[in-house]
Amino acid sequence: MSEVRSSGHFVVPGEKLGVIEEFIPNSGTYVDDGYIYSSRIGYVLIDFANKKISVYPAARNISVPKVNSIVIGWVTNVQDSHATIRIIRIGRKFLSGFFTGVIHIADVSRRYVDNMYDAFRIGDLVRAKVISNKNNTYHLSTKEDNLGAIYAFCSQCGDLLIKRRILKCMACGSIEKRKTASDYGRAPL
Amino acid sequence: MTEKIRLVDDNGIRTDGRKLDELRPIKLEAGVLSNADGSAYIEQGKNKILAAVYGPREVHPRHLALPDRALLRCRYHMAPFSVQERKSPAPSRREIELSKVIREALEPAIFLERFPRTAIDLFIEVLQADGGTRVAGITVASLALADAGIPMRDIVAACAAGKADGYILLDLNDLEDKEGEADVPVAYMPSLNRVGLLQMDGQLTPEEFEKAFNLAIEGCKKIYALQKQALKAKYLAIKEAVEETGQK
Repeated sequence: MSEVRSSGHFVVPGEKLGVIEEFIPNSGTYVDDGYIYSSRIGYVLIDFANKKISVYPAARNISVPKVNSIVIGWVTNVQDSHATIRIIRIGRKFLSGFFTGVIHIADVSRRYVDNMYDAFRIGDLVRAKVISNKNNTYHLSTKEDNLGAIYAFCSQCGDLLIKRRILKCMACGSIEKRKTASDYGRAPL
Repeated sequence: MTEKIRLVDDNGIRTDGRKLDELRPIKLEAGVLSNADGSAYIEQGKNKILAAVYGPREVHPRHLALPDRALLRCRYHMAPFSVQERKSPAPSRREIELSKVIREALEPAIFLERFPRTAIDLFIEVLQADGGTRVAGITVASLALADAGIPMRDIVAACAAGKADGYILLDLNDLEDKEGEADVPVAYMPSLNRVGLLQMDGQLTPEEFEKAFNLAIEGCKKIYALQKQALKAKYLAIKEAVEETGQK
């Protein structure tokens, strides 16, 4: 198999890129028996200054939630002590499917939250941070100013709630409580 | 049965006009489905097979999730219209077994440990079958996995060899598979030089087996070149399209 040595060369998984004596293997590569191989479809990227070699992805870039990643999702269920979130976006990337995360009432806000229903309701769009993936679950937190509901809907009529000093439904006049993010109602999607 | 069918004539030419060590014509295409995360299509002789990949995604039912790696789920399925006599769409004993061997042939090629607690779902749909669908299924499936951006050690190429009329043949078709003496499907990772699937149906002497195995490996290498070409064709086309729109 011919070795690929120039930047911008198209490679598929399993193509030999070099040996570990020449380069430090970076993203999109793996090492087997002293040789560096590509692990994805993409273009070879050689950083001669730092002696690093990587493969710039040409196919879809896969994202799964990791600890500390910022995610956006819908609230699918609210119980006394938990809210369930259907994660649809990780960082800047929308998922083709979804992952499920859970916010415990203690992780909602820095302040004491008496009632989970005063923090989130079903259908709200929430920005949260992954704090743990123990017990086969993604545990989320909204304990920061920029985390919390970014869009919420009236529990009476379903209209979008508008935030002035308080959260109010312009259609039916109902006043509601949420743990909102600092950019509530203005977050681009 | 009055007379046995002759599968190879006196000039060493097979029923479909191929030489003994010749593959059927192969057409491979990556990224044919828009709703799947990755997909591929193969036509190998009269075989027509579609593969789709989803994931890594959340595992349902939850108890199946593995704590240290992704779960690869594979479904090999033949369409009711894929064979002469209508095939029941329910998974048969054969399809369940093939799903398992295909999964096991592909598992060593994928970095499953990078996506713990997730599932990668692979669907192989045989639209038209003419012998050697398990190996063609592996060939398209690995292309679909690569198209989905799933990190892999290598692309898996698969090919069968066998024996009919006393000759060792490459890439058996349905007739040669049914009337012939033996069939040896092989899945192979060319740059790592590793075999992921090796089966044998029928009877061969040790010498014949070695010859058939080596012939199948040679076939896999030819198929690997076609797989690389198919991926290149898709992604270079995308690159050109992007550059063109950039210039306008």
